[in-house]
Amino acid sequence: MKKTIIIALVALLSAAATSAQSIFHKGILADVEYGARLGYNIGGSAPLSMPASIRKLNKFPLTPNIAFGINAEKPLKNNFGLMVGIKFENKGMSTDCTVKGYKMEMVKGGEKLGGVFTGNVVTKATEWMFTFPIQATYHYKNVTFKAGPYVSYLTGREFYGWAYDGYLRVDNPTGEKVILGSGHDERGEYDFAADMRRWHVGFDVGVDWAFSKRFGAYADISCGFHGIHRSGFKTIEQTLVPIYGSIGVTYAFR
Amino acid sequence: MRYITKLFLLASVMLLAASCMKDEPLNAECDIEQVILHTPHVGEVFFNPTDSAKNVLYSASDVVFNVRRHAPLEGVTLSFTITEGATIERITPGTDFTPDEAVEYRVTSQDGQWHRVYKITISPEPVHIVSSELKYDFENFELEPKLKKYYIWHNEQLDGTFGNDWATGNPGFKLSMPSAAPDKYPTVPVDGIDGKALKLTTSDTGPFGAMANKRLAAGNFFLGEFDVSQALGDAMAATRFGIPFALEPVKFTGYYQYKPGTKFQDKNGKEVVGRIDEGSIYAVFYRNHDAEGNPVRLRGDNVLTSPLIVALAKVKDVFDTGGEWKEFSVQFDYREPLDRELLANKGYNLAVVFSSSEAGATFEGAIGSTLLVDKVRLHCQKEE
Repeated sequence: MKKTIIIALVALLSAAATSAQSIFHKGILADVEYGARLGYNIGGSAPLSMPASIRKLNKFPLTPNIAFGINAEKPLKNNFGLMVGIKFENKGMSTDCTVKGYKMEMVKGGEKLGGVFTGNVVTKATEWMFTFPIQATYHYKNVTFKAGPYVSYLTGREFYGWAYDGYLRVDNPTGEKVILGSGHDERGEYDFAADMRRWHVGFDVGVDWAFSKRFGAYADISCGFHGIHRSGFKTIEQTLVPIYGSIGVTYAFR
Repeated sequence: MRYITKLFLLASVMLLAASCMKDEPLNAECDIEQVILHTPHVGEVFFNPTDSAKNVLYSASDVVFNVRRHAPLEGVTLSFTITEGATIERITPGTDFTPDEAVEYRVTSQDGQWHRVYKITISPEPVHIVSSELKYDFENFELEPKLKKYYIWHNEQLDGTFGNDWATGNPGFKLSMPSAAPDKYPTVPVDGIDGKALKLTTSDTGPFGAMANKRLAAGNFFLGEFDVSQALGDAMAATRFGIPFALEPVKFTGYYQYKPGTKFQDKNGKEVVGRIDEGSIYAVFYRNHDAEGNPVRLRGDNVLTSPLIVALAKVKDVFDTGGEWKEFSVQFDYREPLDRELLANKGYNLAVVFSSSEAGATFEGAIGSTLLVDKVRLHCQKEE
């Protein structure tokens, strides 16, 4: 699925590149500049303010957060411009945290088991999405500053993990104590993919730096306006907001 | 490239700032983990010196010290191991202890948000048992008072009060199927020969059970304790079989009905073609201290194999009874002579165990296997 989409995008881009002169540079598009970018997202979907129940980040391995897109910029007055684009990207993450008294709930087949957990929690998320940014641009020498909102539509959603090496107090700190081990049979697993949003809205700021006629680099920071789960989803105590930095290379079709 | 490096650094700093660790929260738990009874008269109070320390299950709110009949209680003090940072206070006025009168303690968590109340009772051995036949008719049950999700049973004590000697795996089943109604649990009361009987059913533990690779729960019922904190992890440690017993058991009788479920499955839920489930009915009599003098309670994985076992009475071939009550009667098979002094000093434990699937401890059996038990009698040697 992902491969197919990437191949389709590459094909589209090649087509765009070859026919760029003819179709895309007529009338109002006459001075529009087209580009492509390939980068990597680093960050996570995290609470804006870390709760005290999260004690330590043990591991934060990298996930395949590739971002690949094309964009078109229409120059306006005084070095300003407007850039739109389409990007296919993954905002995934993988974390292993030590928690104390962390409110959690496991849900499976209509059964719920929740309470406060003390121990370790692994969280893995995958969010493949098409992102449509609209950005105001400002050019200064060979640097372009960009800022603007984006809308994303998710095509691949995963959010799962497990609580291990610790204990759950069922419902509250005076409830039954349930010891969880580290083995597959002894840990508590959860999966909240079904509660993830399809659409994301957020804001993105960044810079492009053209270091040659065609090639350049970019760095962006994006932040969602809301959590990655539906607003009615209360199982995870904190709202997890996607905050990602992105770096990569740009290519200009000239 | 410098711009980009700077920007990326800025991004990282922002992310880190957003993720700054806060101060560690204070403990919210408020458990008594152990109570030690201190007395200047250890020998006159306890049957075994190790009885002075009681480990308290996290699910328990009652602690009972069984002491000698005329145990002197003056000078008794208690010391507690409680959750770190928590505080404990005696609610019951006074500082002394009266036999069989519960003294209440309140434990308050370090963060001050939570508390638990415990009842601690010092219970002297009642007047000497004259009856040589103990009757287990399973008539005294109620919904577990705190959550009212499943049934618990009480044993009638010699003074007419009720004790908590009987345990079941129902609290463990609650973890896997919190939505189940009380009569859908593996161990429930049912109409019996006269009054109520026990109905034990090997039950599907649902998606949570499958997650923990504990796909079924045999209905079980036994003398001892069920430590629900171990139910998801070390399940063999969850069933703690046996209670101190000062009579010499001779014969174990009663009535049962058995119907095996249709599909026997192994631990991974795979059908074992041709294997038919069996029920399990037995009584184990064992030394409750090891050679080093440490207190011992048999567990799921050694209740029938421990070298501390002195006598065993096991009903053979608990097979399909065709919907009829079947009488059973088995003698205790002694492997070594009984030590009368040890017996008088509660050095033996008795575990009476019923299960709807013989291999239920390892999560093997047939879902739907049903064992009914009623009018169980434990015949003991009369005191001379």
